Amino acid sequence: MSNENNKTSLPHWASILGVVAIMLGVFLTAVQGNEAMKQAVVTSNMPADGVMPAADCPEEELEEEGITVAECEYLIEHVKGMALAAPDWFPNVQMTLAGIGAVLAFISVIIGGALVNYTPWASKAAVVVFSGLAAIDLLQFAAVVNTGPTLREVYLGGILLWFILHLMLVVGALAGRHSEASA
Amino acid sequence: MQRQGFSRTAVILHWLLAVSIFFLFISSWWMMGLPLPSPELQFRAFPFQLHKNIGITLVIIILMLLYVRLRHRPAPPDSTDMAPWMHWLAIAAHVAVYGLVLAVCITGYLSSAHTRWDTVFWWTLEFPRIAAPNEEMNEFWGELHMWTAWALLGIIAVHVSGAIYHAFRNDGIVRRMMRW
Repeated sequence: MSNENNKTSLPHWASILGVVAIMLGVFLTAVQGNEAMKQAVVTSNMPADGVMPAADCPEEELEEEGITVAECEYLIEHVKGMALAAPDWFPNVQMTLAGIGAVLAFISVIIGGALVNYTPWASKAAVVVFSGLAAIDLLQFAAVVNTGPTLREVYLGGILLWFILHLMLVVGALAGRHSEASA
Repeated sequence: MQRQGFSRTAVILHWLLAVSIFFLFISSWWMMGLPLPSPELQFRAFPFQLHKNIGITLVIIILMLLYVRLRHRPAPPDSTDMAPWMHWLAIAAHVAVYGLVLAVCITGYLSSAHTRWDTVFWWTLEFPRIAAPNEEMNEFWGELHMWTAWALLGIIAVHVSGAIYHAFRNDGIVRRMMRW
């Protein structure tokens, strides 16, 4: 198949939307996977009484990490602050949503490929999966709004950006379907 | 007759590699902000071991991908309307991606091998020690690991830009790596 044939046989919108979905999907799978791990690691390593031990900051480690003693001590305070700022229900909810988000994001990579190839089911599946991702963003947004200022400052901006990106993908897939239907 | 795109195995390996690389970048930025390890503080234990597991697995994946790509070469793309410099940039970026992924993984392993921490691959297979703990060597390989990782991120940006460029032109080139 020549380039010219490729250009005319498959719609432009599907090619562009597909590649954008793949790029974002690859990145989001990593982001959500990391978020799930983050919650699991912090929850399982916090001392039961909530009292953090003193920082262990050997000089050679500080040199290797390129940090000062004050920053080394702050690393403990930072984790403690994040754990204290999270209500009891938050880690499990966030882990569940991030886990589902990671799976959906990976599926969106497959959907993106299907869009680029313009398989018959691709645009319908794209609307469903991109909507699912936008719904996860909304649920994460709602969860974080119900915590406190510390976690809102950390999470809300990023979640809002992802929601806007997913909304654009949904609308793009819908617009593509409508233009195909009216062609 | 040669097929138009890459084999399905190559496609799956390629995207597995992509997700893993981004996960390693994002998780490493986070895990370096965890408290330094001590007998009471073990926040870093799981993420660091996972980082090593995925890194070692990446070496296996990239070698498999290289094997699959060299064994089943797809038909070359119709590059008549692609500027020669663009064609050569694409080839150079591909070679650099392969080289840098291997370099990042190897330097990371060598850095880790000079620490007091053992490597237990996916928590089952204990790797033999190849070196005694040595802070200087750990730092040397650690620095190389970091700089090759930044270089990899830069070259990935070139690679991704190329893919998006071809997607906007809808010239069928990205479709070669998206055949499910």
